[in-house]
Amino acid sequence: MLNSNQLHRLGALAAALVGGLFFFAIIGVFGLRLAIAGLAVFVLGAVVVYVAFPTAGAES
Amino acid sequence: MKLDPSILARIQFAFTVSFHIIFPTMSIGLASFLAVIEALWLKTKKPVYLQIYKFWLSIFAMGFGIGVVTGIVLSFEFGLGFARFAQMAGPAIGPLIALEVLTAFFLEAGFLGIMLFGLHRVGPKLHFFATCMVAIGTLVSASWILSANSWMQTPAGVAIHDGHLTVVSWLHVLVNPSWLHRLPHMLTAAYLTASFMVAGVGAWYLLKGKHQQFARTTLGLGTAFAAVLIAGQVFIGDILYGTMLKHQPSKMQAAEGFWEKQSQSPAPYYWFIVPDQDHQRNRFELGIPYLGSIWLTHSLDGRVQGLKNTPRDLQPRMGMVFYAFRIMYGLAMVMFAVGVASLWLRFRGKLFSSRWFLWILAFMTPSGIIATLAGWYVAETGRQPWVIYGVLRTVDAVSPVPARALLSTLIAFVCVYGVFITAFLVFAVRIIRRGPGEAPPHAEASGSVKNAFRPYVLDNPERLVNGHITQRS
Repeated sequence: MLNSNQLHRLGALAAALVGGLFFFAIIGVFGLRLAIAGLAVFVLGAVVVYVAFPTAGAES
Repeated sequence: MKLDPSILARIQFAFTVSFHIIFPTMSIGLASFLAVIEALWLKTKKPVYLQIYKFWLSIFAMGFGIGVVTGIVLSFEFGLGFARFAQMAGPAIGPLIALEVLTAFFLEAGFLGIMLFGLHRVGPKLHFFATCMVAIGTLVSASWILSANSWMQTPAGVAIHDGHLTVVSWLHVLVNPSWLHRLPHMLTAAYLTASFMVAGVGAWYLLKGKHQQFARTTLGLGTAFAAVLIAGQVFIGDILYGTMLKHQPSKMQAAEGFWEKQSQSPAPYYWFIVPDQDHQRNRFELGIPYLGSIWLTHSLDGRVQGLKNTPRDLQPRMGMVFYAFRIMYGLAMVMFAVGVASLWLRFRGKLFSSRWFLWILAFMTPSGIIATLAGWYVAETGRQPWVIYGVLRTVDAVSPVPARALLSTLIAFVCVYGVFITAFLVFAVRIIRRGPGEAPPHAEASGSVKNAFRPYVLDNPERLVNGHITQRS
């Protein structure tokens, strides 16, 4: 079983891979349509994370 | 040693325009950031937003002032260093620059007074309106200048008879083939610059354990804007790349570091080269296999066009274009990684406590400025040897003035601009070190120029009463 720290590292690695995939998509490697779709999904995802996980005063 | 006037004129313009572009980039980004912050303050009435507004207003004001002054110099330099360019291109770009100046002076400078000095003198809504007008003014100014510069990159809407240029379509001069892509690319660069600046300063305060609420709010907003903007920027950049490949293939050929008409297959993506322009080859190359084909041709084995497709006398200097492009693109990749990391850390609730990330943000504070400068170097060095692409060579555009005149004015510019940048950095560092809590409540008209030069006034704003410095009781 993976402990919490290992899970977080795995999560960070997954985030990096997903980020890299988005970068490749947005610069048009998979075509213009997927570039537009990738941009839209990334921006929407960023807005969702921003709204769902407010930060001001959240941490001690 | 014989000095070449054409080289000196180019060095002088490169120096002054490089210095200038730093400040409008900051001003455009910060003006819109301030408008957003003031809107948040008016909506929520949270004091931290007013604190953020006042803090960044001081730095914005300094940058705005230097940007205006150094921008005026550029107009005069057209006559000083590039009179033949001014003579030929005047009918097309003269009105665009005049409109930029009108926008800057009437819209921006007019409302800037209310923005800087009116916080406690006019109503909050009128003040917000003034901030929005300044932000819109910076956008409109940028659009005129980008239109003029894009026309130099992709000239359209003019006819040339006997060396004289006549405008046949103002619409095509304004909305020339590269303007629609270069304008959003530049504006997004300005917003990214501001985002990384505010996030970087917030990160610095958190690392030092100071001004927690201010730091968290600015860092939270800065990273959120940065994550969204950098995604948009790489998308716009890719579209612009395609546009420039169509209209200025030599620029993009130089930017990728390949010489042969068709590169090897699969093509690597070079990160380091030692180009030899005389022998049309690279002495050394270091790149990632396959990545050139994937990124540039969107296939695993595509070939990339090299600079030999352009006649030698029409080639830009590969080294300048290549490294400027790599700096810009490399920083964009780092910014994208920082944006993704910020979303991940926000998701995990560690955005303010991951010290490694705070250090990265602090180092990234000037990243937007550096990337913007590099981007302009790609645009300008890649257009060479033309000043108006395909119409007028740079060497033919230089004024018939002695080299000594250009050298002496270049030295003068370096000295004066050295004072400008030193003053800006000294005061910006003072404002940042002092922190938002102790920032003056609003800019005060002291009634005396002498007070403006006294650091005491900045440190002790409560001592300034009716334009006079009061003594400690």
